[in-house]
Amino acid sequence: MKKYQLGEFEEIVLLTVGVLYGNAYGVSIKEEIEKRQKRKVSVGALQSALRRMESKGFLDSEFGESTKMRGGKRKRYFKITALGKKALDYNMQTRLDLWNQIPDVAFEFKLC
Amino acid sequence: MKDSSSTYQPPKAADRFLRWFCREELLEEVKGDLFEYYLLERKTKSEWRAGISYWFHVLHFLRPFALKRKIQDSNFNIMYKSYFKYAWRNMQKHRTNTLMNLLSLGVGMACFIFIFIYIKGELSYDKFHNDSDRIHRVVIDLFESDGGILPDATTPPALAIALQRELPEIASSTRVFPKWGRKFLIGANEDQQYFEEELIQTDSSFFDVFSFPFIHGEPKTALDAPDKMVLTRSMALKYFGRENVLGETLTIYGSNNQVKRISAVVEDVSEFSHFTFDFLTRLNFNNIDNNWGWWNYYTYVKVNQDTDMRALGGKLLGFYESARPDQERYAPIYTQAITDIHLKSNLKWELSVNGNMDNIYIFGALGVFVLLISCINYLNLTIADSLKRLKEIGVRKVFGAHKKSLISQFLIEALLTIIFAIVIGGVFAEALFRNMGDVLGRNVSMLQVENLQVFLLIGLTGVVFGILAGLYPALHMSSFKVASAVKGIVSKSGRSAKGLRKTLLVIQFSISTIMIVGTLVVFEQLKYVQNSDLGFESEQVLIIENSRRISNQETFKAELERIPAISRASVADGIIGGLNWTMTVGTPNGVLMNYVVTDPDFIDAMGFELLEGRNFDKERPTDAQGGNLIVNKKALSDLGLTMEDVGKPVPMFSNGDSIINGTVLGVIEDFHFTDFKSEIKPFAFVYRTNTKDYSYIKLNSTNIGQTLTQIEEAWNVASNGAPFEYYFLDETYASLHVQEEKLSNILLYLTFLAVFIAFMGMFAIANMTIKDRLKEIAVRKVLGASVTGVSGMITTKFLALVLVANIIALPLSYYLMSEWLSGFAYRTDLGPLIFTLALGSTLLVAWITVGYQSVRAALINPIRNLRQD
Repeated sequence: MKKYQLGEFEEIVLLTVGVLYGNAYGVSIKEEIEKRQKRKVSVGALQSALRRMESKGFLDSEFGESTKMRGGKRKRYFKITALGKKALDYNMQTRLDLWNQIPDVAFEFKLC
Repeated sequence: MKDSSSTYQPPKAADRFLRWFCREELLEEVKGDLFEYYLLERKTKSEWRAGISYWFHVLHFLRPFALKRKIQDSNFNIMYKSYFKYAWRNMQKHRTNTLMNLLSLGVGMACFIFIFIYIKGELSYDKFHNDSDRIHRVVIDLFESDGGILPDATTPPALAIALQRELPEIASSTRVFPKWGRKFLIGANEDQQYFEEELIQTDSSFFDVFSFPFIHGEPKTALDAPDKMVLTRSMALKYFGRENVLGETLTIYGSNNQVKRISAVVEDVSEFSHFTFDFLTRLNFNNIDNNWGWWNYYTYVKVNQDTDMRALGGKLLGFYESARPDQERYAPIYTQAITDIHLKSNLKWELSVNGNMDNIYIFGALGVFVLLISCINYLNLTIADSLKRLKEIGVRKVFGAHKKSLISQFLIEALLTIIFAIVIGGVFAEALFRNMGDVLGRNVSMLQVENLQVFLLIGLTGVVFGILAGLYPALHMSSFKVASAVKGIVSKSGRSAKGLRKTLLVIQFSISTIMIVGTLVVFEQLKYVQNSDLGFESEQVLIIENSRRISNQETFKAELERIPAISRASVADGIIGGLNWTMTVGTPNGVLMNYVVTDPDFIDAMGFELLEGRNFDKERPTDAQGGNLIVNKKALSDLGLTMEDVGKPVPMFSNGDSIINGTVLGVIEDFHFTDFKSEIKPFAFVYRTNTKDYSYIKLNSTNIGQTLTQIEEAWNVASNGAPFEYYFLDETYASLHVQEEKLSNILLYLTFLAVFIAFMGMFAIANMTIKDRLKEIAVRKVLGASVTGVSGMITTKFLALVLVANIIALPLSYYLMSEWLSGFAYRTDLGPLIFTLALGSTLLVAWITVGYQSVRAALINPIRNLRQD
């Protein structure tokens, strides 16, 4: 289903936004991903994924307070929308379905 | 509190860069993120490393989603978008009009592109040589019997050598000796032999003068030994199946076989060259370097840089006099720029059929005319259309449209139409090229790179002119006052627009009429040329080439005459209307006599009528010796003889001091052997018993196919394996008028298109006029007007316009076409019929186009047009 389509990176970002509930903004998401996934994330890649998902309706955002830490710039906090939740559910469900469909023999790797 | 953030600053340049490209609404957050992350990094990394990382992240932000959409947000852009939308909608709303506009503009554009590319090709002849501006052909005219001068392209072989020796301005010179109707049997071995025509014999300096592109080999060494040979790529492929054939040998078979070493392979000769060749070999005649008597070489020179050609021209005559002290009179010697030869040179014995500068002018004018007609159409339709859009303009103005924005809207509509038209024109032009390849004499396609460039160039100019053409309606329409525009009141300017419309219609039809007259006259002349009596029976005469290969021609002739469908067979050393020799006859005043060596059967076979004297006689061996001639009337009078002198010995040739007598055995009627542009010239037949080049077979057959098979059988028996290559004499004569035929063909197409466009324009204008007057027509009908009365009222106005156009065009076309005809020595009359036909046809078509619509309008029930008010 096209409606809930999520890329791999998008899915991770979306999930991370969920994990960081209430404190999900650019740098925190980036750090969280880098910490958990052990992969480098550029600000640009992250922002483009965030925007894309916002335009798809999976994410919602609002400006937060400005802090000295950011040179007076405000943070934009992201949170998952109901649709985003659905998309994650759908994604997980399809994977689970597929997972369950795999016959056991497929995993019987034997030395031959 | 003082924290680290105030002390650490990310690179300023990166910040500025980010601000430059990043969208406003993203900027704050992104800068914040980047800054925060920068501070994090500064804690662990050096300033430099953190700076690099900052830059890295900024650059990573260069993604489509983050870029500023400058264009999208501008008011300017939104308006232009809507202009396009309106233009598109307007085109769809008036489908008929749009279609007419596009068709007529497209057709006009196609004609223009077609002619432009054709002319460009004609003008580019011989420009591919390096320093083509320094290459010239030296020619010497011949004296004619009446003291006139016969322009002649050939020169004696000694000329090139002497020029190079005597004149310091000449950088290099070369002689070209073409095939002169010969065929060469060439082969790589005994099994693989072909007859080749395009063999030029020349000097080692050939490539000093000309620069044909080399594929293999070196220009310097290409012809530096007598046994070397240069061939073209396609010949290399034909004989050896590969391109690099340096060092291979080819044999030219003949009485003594010549083995040639291939020293270079060149590209196939460009179609834009005034002479062509497949093979080049060295001249191998003895004693030609001091020969001033054989007029069958062409002399080309390359002059030094910055040579004053006029001064050189002056020097040439002095040079020629000193080189030939034996002459009494000196014929003009002069140079022709090689790039001028194709279009401007029309000498006897040109190396190929040349173009004609006059035709170029005619075609150019026609191309512009047709384009003009279609532009006028466009202008006319747009102006007429504009009057109907007054309300729209009024409403726009009320809602605050500036004059400027109205103008841009109309310009965009114009532009859209023109771009469509250009595309249509390109497609049409391609179709024209595909269909008229044989008329043009070469294959042209829009898809060739150089033509595509031309197309783009024309397209660009088209757009520029389109803007200019669209400017008038744009200015005109935007100038209406709001109130009157909304009310739909056509003010004075509307009337002036109608006046302009009428003028443009008249111009259109004048051009159409001139073109119709022109086409008719050219066709008449062609018909005249084709149908006029040549002075002998040229129909059903078959000419077989290579007849020299037949050892006993008398037996062959007898064999042929046994075939019932053949009435007579003969042999000759030239082709009437194609190839003949010249000699100077008569003393003391020489006559330049064209002559052909024949056998005694020739006069009969060709149906020449003897006015006086007798034919050659096989039984009288003296007929085949000395100056025994059968001449035409023109030759007789030019020699200063009368019918009384026929059969008596008269002084004919002078050889130093001694004078040799000859006899005019018979006189025949004058006959055409050149094109109809020149007067009939002296011609003589000479009888010799040697083997001759061409067999002439007079057929009397209804089944040509069968007769040809029979002839071929006889040929195969007698010809020692030479190929059976034949054509009909009519074809030779037809080829004399290739230029006129080309002209008439192109003229026919263009005239058809021009008239088509003009009448399409008239149709559309009439359509609009009638729509404007529907109410008036209805009222008239209610008040009792008849259908004929109403339709007559509309039709007469248009017919009057066509009449005015004819009054302008007919005298003009009379003048133009008499000018054109004056180029022919034998020409058709400019009878009144042609002009009546042009007048009648334009009026008739106008009457049909307008009359049909007006009658239809008059037949509408008046209620339908009146009930709205």
